Amino acid sequence: MKKEPIIPESRDPAFIEQVIKTPVGEKIPTCMQCGICAGSCPVSQEMDYSPRELVRMVQLGLKKEVLSSSTIWICTTCFSCSVRCPRGIHPTELMETLKPIAIAEGIKNRNVKFDNVFSDVIKTNGRASEFLLISKYSLTEPGMIKQLPFGLSMMVKGKLPLSIQRMENTRELEAIFNLGEKSREKK
Amino acid sequence: MTENEQPLVKEQKEETIRKESTIDKSAIEESAKKGSKKIGVYLCRCGGNIADAVDLQAVADNLKEDKNVIVNIQDYLCSSVGQDKIKNDIEKGKVDRVVIGSCSPKLHLETFRGMAKNAGLNPRLLEITNIREQASWVHDKEDKTGVTSKVLGLIKGAAARMGSIEPLSPLAKTLVDRTLVIGGGIAGITTALELSDSHDVILIEKKPYLGGHMIGLSKTFPTLDCSQCILTPRMVAVHNNPRISMLTQTQVADVQGSPGDYSITLKHSPRYVDIGKCINCGACARKCPTGAIFLPFAQAVPQAYMIDMSKCSNCGACVKICPRDAINLEEKEETSAIAVGAVAIATGFEPIDPTFIEEYNYPSPNILTAIEFEEMLSAKSKTGMRLQKADGTFPNRVAFVLCAGSRDFTGKGRKHCSKVCCIYSQKQAQLVKKMKEDSQAWIFYIDMRSGGRRFEEFYHHTQEKGVNYVRGKVAEILPKSDGTLMVQYEDTNLGRKGREIFDMVILCPALIPSTGTKEIADKLGVSIGDDGFIEEKHVKLDPVNTLNQSVFAAGCVLGPKDIHDSVTEGISAAHKVSQFLGKGMILIPPEKPVILECNGCGDCVKACPYNALALEGGKALLSPLACTGCGICVPACPIKGIEIRNFTRDQVKAQLQGILSEAPGVIVFIDPYAYAAADIAGVNRKQYSSLVRLVSIPSVHILDADVVNAAFEYGATGVMLIEGITDEKLTSRSDDLYKKLKKDTRKHKKPIRYSHIETAQYEKLTDLLNVFASQAGAKAQKMSRKEEISDKEDPVS
Repeated sequence: MKKEPIIPESRDPAFIEQVIKTPVGEKIPTCMQCGICAGSCPVSQEMDYSPRELVRMVQLGLKKEVLSSSTIWICTTCFSCSVRCPRGIHPTELMETLKPIAIAEGIKNRNVKFDNVFSDVIKTNGRASEFLLISKYSLTEPGMIKQLPFGLSMMVKGKLPLSIQRMENTRELEAIFNLGEKSREKK
Repeated sequence: MTENEQPLVKEQKEETIRKESTIDKSAIEESAKKGSKKIGVYLCRCGGNIADAVDLQAVADNLKEDKNVIVNIQDYLCSSVGQDKIKNDIEKGKVDRVVIGSCSPKLHLETFRGMAKNAGLNPRLLEITNIREQASWVHDKEDKTGVTSKVLGLIKGAAARMGSIEPLSPLAKTLVDRTLVIGGGIAGITTALELSDSHDVILIEKKPYLGGHMIGLSKTFPTLDCSQCILTPRMVAVHNNPRISMLTQTQVADVQGSPGDYSITLKHSPRYVDIGKCINCGACARKCPTGAIFLPFAQAVPQAYMIDMSKCSNCGACVKICPRDAINLEEKEETSAIAVGAVAIATGFEPIDPTFIEEYNYPSPNILTAIEFEEMLSAKSKTGMRLQKADGTFPNRVAFVLCAGSRDFTGKGRKHCSKVCCIYSQKQAQLVKKMKEDSQAWIFYIDMRSGGRRFEEFYHHTQEKGVNYVRGKVAEILPKSDGTLMVQYEDTNLGRKGREIFDMVILCPALIPSTGTKEIADKLGVSIGDDGFIEEKHVKLDPVNTLNQSVFAAGCVLGPKDIHDSVTEGISAAHKVSQFLGKGMILIPPEKPVILECNGCGDCVKACPYNALALEGGKALLSPLACTGCGICVPACPIKGIEIRNFTRDQVKAQLQGILSEAPGVIVFIDPYAYAAADIAGVNRKQYSSLVRLVSIPSVHILDADVVNAAFEYGATGVMLIEGITDEKLTSRSDDLYKKLKKDTRKHKKPIRYSHIETAQYEKLTDLLNVFASQAGAKAQKMSRKEEISDKEDPVS
């Protein structure tokens, strides 16, 4: 990974302001980079930046890197970091705060796409379906074709059921989604 | 005035007491009327600290309308230029009373009063109105007009009260030339030894032996000399010193009296062995079938056996064998009373219990605190000074985990840095490497803090010894089934997660004030910070004094520190105690009750919590030295015959009228302890509404409905009483006071509140002030709307 030097142009003060104003942002400036979040995180090795590095980048206002990072999408919301942080910063909640900002900023990468497909599946069926999820996601992400043999072998072993479950009344769910959309527009 | 109307202040027998002149009502009235007072008001810009938030020129212009007042504004009143200006004005007779608008009187009242004294003015005729900590610093986000109007009111109030202030002189009381040192660790030992050159000392220690935590240390950084080797001679010196009475297993049970003259009750737990008789022969221990009688450790001072009653079978074998008849199994807890003039608190620290840090799995075999590690290698060792795991073998891989429970702002741990862990963990790591060269020692740190002489070199040396440093707070310590420990962390320098297996993990716990610090502080009338350590009189300039002039502190009770700094503070405290006792007497404030009229009912005598009032010849008499000036006798008198000098009802009312003359506001009566909290709020710039007007009074108990009603009549939208004193004799009566005031001022239909705020609770204070100011404001609006309506209705009816 090429590391760009941090110069004044890399920093976006408005972004710092935007994040710090959110309910979880207030304590971000007090991070002392102890790393207990990253040390506790079960998936930090899969992220391009660890939670500690993400907080540091928010402190600096490195908007582009923060919003296009895989970190905010890979977080499993296990809350270990939030529970253990000695400064009372809540990295988990920070990830959740950054996701809609990334979407609103038009960040498009496979993590965003996956998130969109996932919520679509939920919206229409009210239940998660691995088969639908994978097939829809594969349509948007051509690279997934390589995973086909793996998927087939899973299917043979019954690990990828084809049946799609639906909840009885998806209208109620749709109403919830719509409310969410509305409240986001208001912001 | 007839003879028997003459009120008396009971004379104490001590010769040194300056006889209080007898006072009568007419004298006070006369003092109020006498001549036209020339009041000088001096306002300080304090650079921009005050002037940026307050339009001082507008304040001055307004004040000048009163021709009895001259006004002057200076950049820095505390500077020699500023002081000289006031001094000249006094000396030339331009002013004979001074009101200063500046920072808190806690900072500079003594400075200015000293100057007044030099200029020939009675110091009581100079007062400070706090317009920085309690105005400009806490309303600087508000509109300047509101703050300016508040400041103008405060100054007008102070000037109005100043008009009738009596030029009183402080009372003098002989000091008891004996000091109680609480705590037998290195700080207490040093204080006691240094003092013993010229003063008598009583040194008490809760444990059965001297030495505190230091006797439980192995080698000491940065020189690696052995702790007991340097400490034992000092402990023996204490024991042998004829001017030091050393009492172990002793605690403070009760404190009576006042600064300079305390009567303290000590509580002694039973040892069952007479320290004076025991010759340390050990015959008892050899006979004891249960191992209940023992010497705490070989070098313990005092050198005497003791019994652990939880193990004793009461067989009496030890009693029979003892050649000196030193053992008494019937010994009970005892108390004794001592008289001392000064107290030095050196009660030290204790490690926080790291059990609450769930991810560290303490206690588990081979997860130790650094204190336990030290003790294993110290005089108190139970392993023969061998470092060993639970299975008795040497740990080849040892991890040190710093900041266990420190630097934590979540409320679970402590906020402060424990200061010594960075260096002692490196020392411990060196010891591990020294004991076995091919062993491994890892230090997990967040920031390596090695400020101080010889410490960076020590850090460098530890690195040379091959100790492995990892920058990252350990995330988890998991005990494995084979007895080893898995440590998970992020190496923050590399941004990579890591896992290592260790044989032993040492947690460096937050160091916190020892249990009972708050109780001792409360008994002695000194405050503690929100970190639980004793508050210094001034963080930088008076580091071993407390706000109580006869109480001092040294060592870790003032915050975590190393041996060097504890010794330095012990020496400093001894010097300060000596300086205090050397004066031979103590000046006490003359703002005491004066009995103007008495019908002999005795209500005040019953009310006084300090036995300072007595009925003699059918009249109440005051012992001014026993009196603390709490003023509870003032509202107790059914004929309003008692006033606190310089805080009489008329004086306070005049002040209230002045304060509220500019604009309505909320009157907050505040005692000196809570006043300190308001000052801390100011220093921290905690904002609150500028409608709040603090009125400093010696105690909320001087108030009665007369004064509170006056506040409402002058335009207060609400009245609040804030009490900070922790003396239960007063606080137990606060609720009754509040209820009575509420009932007796009901006709105004305005809110009144009482709240108890300790010095550390400044955030709670500002929250309360804000809530109350807005409540009072809302209520006032509602009332005025009602009035408007009724005004409109009136003509119709």
